[in-house]
Amino acid sequence: MKDSIKQVEYFEETEGVVEFDMDIDSHSAEYESIELDESGVQQFLSEQEASQIQHVQSAKEQAAENKTHMSQTTKRAISNTIIHVVLALMSILWILPFIFIVFESFRVESTGLAGYIIPHKWGFDNYIRLFKETEFGKWFLSTFLLGLFCAVVQTLFILAMSYALSRNRFKGRKLLMNAMLVLGMFPGFLTLILLYTLLSGWGLTGSKAPYGLAILYVASSGMGYYVCKGFFDTISHSLDEAAMVDGASKFQIFYKIIIPMSKPIIIYTILMGFMAPWGDFITARFMSNNDPLGFNVATGLQWLVGETRVDRYYTTFCAGGVVVALPITLLFMFLQKYYVAGVTGGAVKG
Amino acid sequence: MTYLNSLDYLKLTRWQKFIYKLKCFFCAIPGWFVDKGKKIGRFFKNFGLKTADTFRDIWYTFKNGSWSTRVSFLVMGFGSFFHKQWLRGAVFLILEVVFILYMVLAGGYWLSKFGTLGTVQSGKQLVESPLLPGEYVEVTVAGDNSFKILLYGLLTIFFIVALIYTWRLNVKQCKLCDEITRNGKKIKTSGEDIKSLLDNDFHKTLLALPVFGITMFTVLPIIFMILVAFTNYDKNHNGYTNLFSWVGFDNFNSVISFGSGLQVAFGEILAWTLIWAFFATFSCYFLGMFVAIMINKKGIKIKKFWRTVLVMTIAVPQFISLLYISNLFSTNGIVNATLMKWGWIDSPIRFWGDGTLAKIMVLVINVWVGIPYLMLITTGILMNIPADLYESARIDGANAFQQFAKITLPYMLFVTGPYLLTSFVSNINNFNVIYLLTQGGPNNYVWGDVGGYVAGDTTILITWLFGITTGNEANYKMASVIGILIFIVVSVLSLVVFSIMPATKREDDFS
Amino acid sequence: MARVKLTNVKKIYGKNTVAVQEFNLDIADKEFIVFVGPSGCGKSTTLRMIAGLEDISEGTVEIDGRVVNDLQPKDRGIAMVFQNYALYPHLTVFENMAFSLRLKKVPNDEIYKRVTEAAEVLGITEYLTRRPRELSGGQRQRVAIGRAMVRDSKVFLMDEPLSNLDAKLRNQMRAEIILLRKKINTTFIYVTHDQTEAMTLGDRIVIMKDGFIMQVGSPTEVFEMPDNLFVAEFIGAPKMNTMRTKLERDGDEYFVSPFGVRMPIGGDKGEALKAKDVQPQDIVLGVRPEHITLSNSKNPYAVPCQIRVKEMMGSELHLHVVTGTEEKIVIRVPTVDIAPHQLAALVPGVRIYITFRSKVMHFFNAETEHNLLTDGNGTVQSAEQPSDDVVDAPETKSEE
Repeated sequence: MKDSIKQVEYFEETEGVVEFDMDIDSHSAEYESIELDESGVQQFLSEQEASQIQHVQSAKEQAAENKTHMSQTTKRAISNTIIHVVLALMSILWILPFIFIVFESFRVESTGLAGYIIPHKWGFDNYIRLFKETEFGKWFLSTFLLGLFCAVVQTLFILAMSYALSRNRFKGRKLLMNAMLVLGMFPGFLTLILLYTLLSGWGLTGSKAPYGLAILYVASSGMGYYVCKGFFDTISHSLDEAAMVDGASKFQIFYKIIIPMSKPIIIYTILMGFMAPWGDFITARFMSNNDPLGFNVATGLQWLVGETRVDRYYTTFCAGGVVVALPITLLFMFLQKYYVAGVTGGAVKG
Repeated sequence: MTYLNSLDYLKLTRWQKFIYKLKCFFCAIPGWFVDKGKKIGRFFKNFGLKTADTFRDIWYTFKNGSWSTRVSFLVMGFGSFFHKQWLRGAVFLILEVVFILYMVLAGGYWLSKFGTLGTVQSGKQLVESPLLPGEYVEVTVAGDNSFKILLYGLLTIFFIVALIYTWRLNVKQCKLCDEITRNGKKIKTSGEDIKSLLDNDFHKTLLALPVFGITMFTVLPIIFMILVAFTNYDKNHNGYTNLFSWVGFDNFNSVISFGSGLQVAFGEILAWTLIWAFFATFSCYFLGMFVAIMINKKGIKIKKFWRTVLVMTIAVPQFISLLYISNLFSTNGIVNATLMKWGWIDSPIRFWGDGTLAKIMVLVINVWVGIPYLMLITTGILMNIPADLYESARIDGANAFQQFAKITLPYMLFVTGPYLLTSFVSNINNFNVIYLLTQGGPNNYVWGDVGGYVAGDTTILITWLFGITTGNEANYKMASVIGILIFIVVSVLSLVVFSIMPATKREDDFS
Repeated sequence: MARVKLTNVKKIYGKNTVAVQEFNLDIADKEFIVFVGPSGCGKSTTLRMIAGLEDISEGTVEIDGRVVNDLQPKDRGIAMVFQNYALYPHLTVFENMAFSLRLKKVPNDEIYKRVTEAAEVLGITEYLTRRPRELSGGQRQRVAIGRAMVRDSKVFLMDEPLSNLDAKLRNQMRAEIILLRKKINTTFIYVTHDQTEAMTLGDRIVIMKDGFIMQVGSPTEVFEMPDNLFVAEFIGAPKMNTMRTKLERDGDEYFVSPFGVRMPIGGDKGEALKAKDVQPQDIVLGVRPEHITLSNSKNPYAVPCQIRVKEMMGSELHLHVVTGTEEKIVIRVPTVDIAPHQLAALVPGVRIYITFRSKVMHFFNAETEHNLLTDGNGTVQSAEQPSDDVVDAPETKSEE
């Protein structure tokens, strides 16, 4: 105690006293600001500090403070209620189209645009027509097989590419990465003009388009290495070094250390590979060259609601949409975790 | 322009600071260009020096090399054989033999035609009958095919470049072997070469197939399409029944030259493309962030449910929802029918028939498509913002909005800067949303009817390209020109944004 | 069980950033050698060159008489413990330790035997089936050491193995490494930035700065006979007090005048100066805080000063004082020697007298910063070597 007194004396020549006063001032300011905001008063101020401040404040001020505090709580309750309502409305807005499409797919009485949602007569007619009257079965199967093919081969390509670029420092590495960045800026779809001619020379377009698509999807898939490489980059290099000292070759490091550690990103890559053919429109359209036998689900269903066919096939299109969306949504639900991780990581990496 | 030191700067008022920063920004622009110019100059200087070094190195290799090295200058792989590197030697030799055979059998032919893209028109010709001299008969003669000449000519050039590179490798290899023998060390055997493909050279093994795929299916076609921009390849000159040829910069002139129909259409479409990309990117970004903040707010119940509902809509393939919504809003779609039934309107609103309305509709629907995705991304990042930043801001007296403006937003922009750029670029090329909703319509006959395709009010460059190349009036040369222009727009934009953005992340942060 | 010899080793990054140079060191079999220095001094780079994780730009590294420059890490007969442990997160502790043996296709029984033996020694037997993330920092550290132990390596390399542990655990692990060393009985090369670790563990210490070796010697040597000012200030905590002054000579007697008090140099130091026939010159005088004692005005060589800050450490008292010549120095006083009422009186602002004997003085040339009384062992470079081309390339890792 004696120590501290002397210390104060020693500093007295400076601006010790003033400092002390300022301390109290800033405390009360702090108190107000917290009051205005969230309910974290106790978190920031110990009881002792709070009572100190109360000495400073007059009773009148204190009463006013309490009043704002009360209204603050109600305010928060109101804003939270508003947010809940907004979120509920949003959810409805986002879900509604999908509910509509399901309803319309069960409509029996008419096949075109009807102007109402709930069918007057329910039935599976559209689903039957989908498989009987259109080539949907073929489209679905070829898209599904393409999805599987991409899921496997594309994943291998991307893993190879990202591991090579992430873990090795070789000559021309930067050049390669910059080149791919620049290539990505060119509207890739233009290359289809040449590739179509090329593939049609091999007979892989028109009704055989799925085979051509398989080649196209996979061939350049190495360029989508960003997310995966970003993940590999986060794995500490000392693991590689430890494995090197332990006697592992680069290949062994790859499949014994890095691959087993990268399960989330591999699942993400597989999921992306599988989903890509389902959503692809432009390549599939180009390669099929308007031959319904070579469509995938996207081009096929778009063809069904083309101007001349929309009256006959609108509800069939709805049924097709449901058939396509159902398995993919289910798959997505199971792997949601990995998708979210991959997407977030990818965005941060850029 | 005088630059203030940091203490003087701090004295300024907020407004003065803003003016000062603005001044600094504009004053820095010339310097920026000078800097870039210097960089480019340095690049070429280095390139020149390197090339000179390479030639010098080749010459010294020849001068100082053993006789086997000198033979390798002609017979590739000889040196490797000499040093008992059978595998390398064989690969080099086979490549050389295959190349020579190819050049003799086909490559030479394509290359010789490359300058003209073909001269012999195929079609019917009168030739003297071999059986009856003096009689003329009509026969079909297969002429040149410009398309093939362009493609195979290009491929041949690729092969030549590849061979030169291989030859250089071969020379380097010989030099290395010479050096190693001189130092009395052991040269790697073929077995060790193969082993090293799984160890120190593992990246070569991994990269081989993907890079080959990219070269053949992306690089080659892109160069091909760039070349097409300098020809008159279109529906009337399909390269077979009617040859096409080099035309220089004519196509570029017709797009850029003032007052031409193409120029007007290009200007209109480019402007809308940029507007679209800007609004599509930022509307989704801010609204998605807003939704994420709402869901993350303290006191909001069943957060997981709200999130899941939105995420599920990502799962449904985009084309289904887009096509369905497109029909929802069609003239006899559900929206119009319902509104009429309720008596709110008398005649259907032509959502896709009116240019301005269609533009607003695609932007709004794009927000509908984009919010869940952005919500996901921003949620992840929002959770990463250190909580103590908010705590200290609260202690400093910031209210909720100030916290957002001073902490959340700068942090988000900092972290997602590169993402915003990629997102902007991908929106420039966002084919699906535009095409599946409006197919570029409503058609605009004022300026849109050029290039063999009627462009519409919502047509962006990429859907324009699609129309130009797939319609009955396929106009490939124009498509290529537009493609190159898109590339220029995108790359300039990226360059500028990247050089303005602070260097946030370094790849080699680990060391 | 091997001798490690480094001859003229040099490491250059890129074109001309030098991380390590003129590194000559002969490490005896079963010696425990510690590389110590501030971050960016090249100690980790040197270790990694020995391990084969960095290329050696110039010079040779020999292990057991064989030049290993061109050998892969796995062929050098080394084991290494990393700063961040580098445990494989997807493998159990057992598999982590067995990894190198599995790659070598060692029979299963043998693997079991060796791993369990090592685990026994380290006291981690009960964790063998767990994964690294389920272990505490200290346990992970043990696993990392265990992984290195199961391979019968000739040289044991440790790269700041304790820097990720908290202070208490670090002291405990330090003691365990001393015990472990007796059990493993092989050559150890240990990198640290902590001079306490270096002093307690090493048979010999290599002190580095900016890529150069500043001194090599036993803990006692580097403490009592620092070759240069850098070593003198680096070893010991709080760091040595230094002051610029003049060395004067009057016949056979030498004098220094720190803080305006002229003191004769007697005893061993005086003899040594005489024996080396040191000429009068500008010097930097160094005195360790623990060698300064409190005194009174009756002492003719006492230096008056005023207390600025008082740090009570329990068993000792650190006093930051300012002398009449406005120089700031630190003194370290064992509290046991001071009566309680005196202790209470030692507060900031109070004036005291301090003194030190000539026995504890260190003399450095003011320009070269070399110790006037040591010969230097040839490898020492003067401390004012241009250091602008020296970059702390891979060293930063340890400080992150």
